[in-house]
Amino acid sequence: MTLEGWVPQINDYTSLREVVDFAFDYRGNTTVVKTNGKEVVGYIFNREADAPEAFLQLFDEQGDGPFTIPYRDIATIKFTGKDTAAGNSWKAWVERKEMERALRAAASGADRVGRDPGPDGA
Amino acid sequence: MSVPVSQMYTVASYILQQKLRRRKRYPFVLMLEPMFRCNLACAGCGKIQYPAQILKKHLTVAQCLAAVAECGAPIVSIPGGEPLMYPDIDKLVTELVKHRKYIYLCTNAILLKEKLHLFTPSKYLTFSVHMDGLREEHDEAVCRDGVFDEAVEGIKAALQRGFRVTTNTTLFDGASPLRMREFFDEMMDLGVEGMMLSPGYSYSKAPDQEHFLHQTRTNQLFSEMLSKPKRRWKFNQSPLFLRFLMGKKDFECTPWGNPTFNMFGWQRPCYLLQEGYAASFQELMDGTKWENYGKKSGNEKCRNCMVHCGYEATAVDHTFSSLKGFAETVSVSLSGKL
Ligand code: SF4
Ligand code: SF4
Repeated sequence: MTLEGWVPQINDYTSLREVVDFAFDYRGNTTVVKTNGKEVVGYIFNREADAPEAFLQLFDEQGDGPFTIPYRDIATIKFTGKDTAAGNSWKAWVERKEMERALRAAASGADRVGRDPGPDGA
Repeated sequence: MSVPVSQMYTVASYILQQKLRRRKRYPFVLMLEPMFRCNLACAGCGKIQYPAQILKKHLTVAQCLAAVAECGAPIVSIPGGEPLMYPDIDKLVTELVKHRKYIYLCTNAILLKEKLHLFTPSKYLTFSVHMDGLREEHDEAVCRDGVFDEAVEGIKAALQRGFRVTTNTTLFDGASPLRMREFFDEMMDLGVEGMMLSPGYSYSKAPDQEHFLHQTRTNQLFSEMLSKPKRRWKFNQSPLFLRFLMGKKDFECTPWGNPTFNMFGWQRPCYLLQEGYAASFQELMDGTKWENYGKKSGNEKCRNCMVHCGYEATAVDHTFSSLKGFAETVSVSLSGKL
């Protein structure tokens, strides 16, 4: 499940605070749309929702920063960048290894496939 | 225990000073991440998934040294990313040695042989090589064939030149205790100074959480693996932490024991969780709601966590908190029985 491509509308059901939290957890660039219509693309690495003046911090697309943006200046945040945490899982790697072993075993005529058991039979 | 006496003395006197000053929370090991770039992409690693502009960035040596001074911990661990890809790693290590910090440079060792000429052997510098088991298990854990052999080559070259070398192993679900015992033998045959073990953790941002160990399985695995330890096995970590992993001791997490600094600032609350960043070490210590973390807090992110960076500092602190703790550590260390 990835938020890549999400363009949230801030309304009674979706608060800015929640959207900032999602953006903070997101492992990709986002586009911060400001209330003045300007947009900043970058990686949000920090947020302080409970500070006297709530703010987020980001490095922009060039890696410059950190830039601090107060919540009150934000209209919404678009999840525009690639989610770098999506895919590439441990499971996919293990499955690929199993497949390779099965193919090798089939090619050599062996009838047993899968990971060799350890000395304890595990 | 395989830690040199001078290091033990430095750590012991540092902790006793903290106790005398009645500091409730103090750092033990600074986790200094100069950058997140890596030449591997291990599944389950929550450290490398960032957009390109972040992976290209790194801290300056001056920023690293300022963090080291601010924190004051006697040990500096340099994880990553892959620190041997950090362009100023030689300068950083030289400076840290000058400051008499004990450095654990945590590397996957792919570049170790090639970069050894940048360093001078010192009691302050240890290459802590990422080794998640024997060849098959390790290559599987790092998602690339051939890495185990490259790491072994790196270890041999470093040992040959007189460097301190340890291994650090994260144990994942499905690890075989007997295979791990073989792994310990193989590492000791290579001549490493000691081994460090930790169970894996289910990072909330890791791509796959299924394969990490939960507490009971962790206790079972470590008990089977470490029962009747061979005398030749040397562990470069607190024996009480190993007993905790075996389920023989109950500890609470001390996340401030291993504070983490990187390009985002001082990470709250620990090396694993990224709940935000403080601008200074003092702000991290004073402004983090520590009561929200650890098993007792009820925080579900901490419920199954038993990792080294949360609990080893607890074990070390326990050693110096009472005569009983000290006696237990000495007795386990001398008898070799965990
Ligand atoms: S070598 Fe370490 S930092 Fe690099 S991908 Fe693997 S676990 Fe992550
Ligand atoms: S128990 Fe400690 S080390 Fe583990 S996740 Fe929680 S705060 Fe971090």
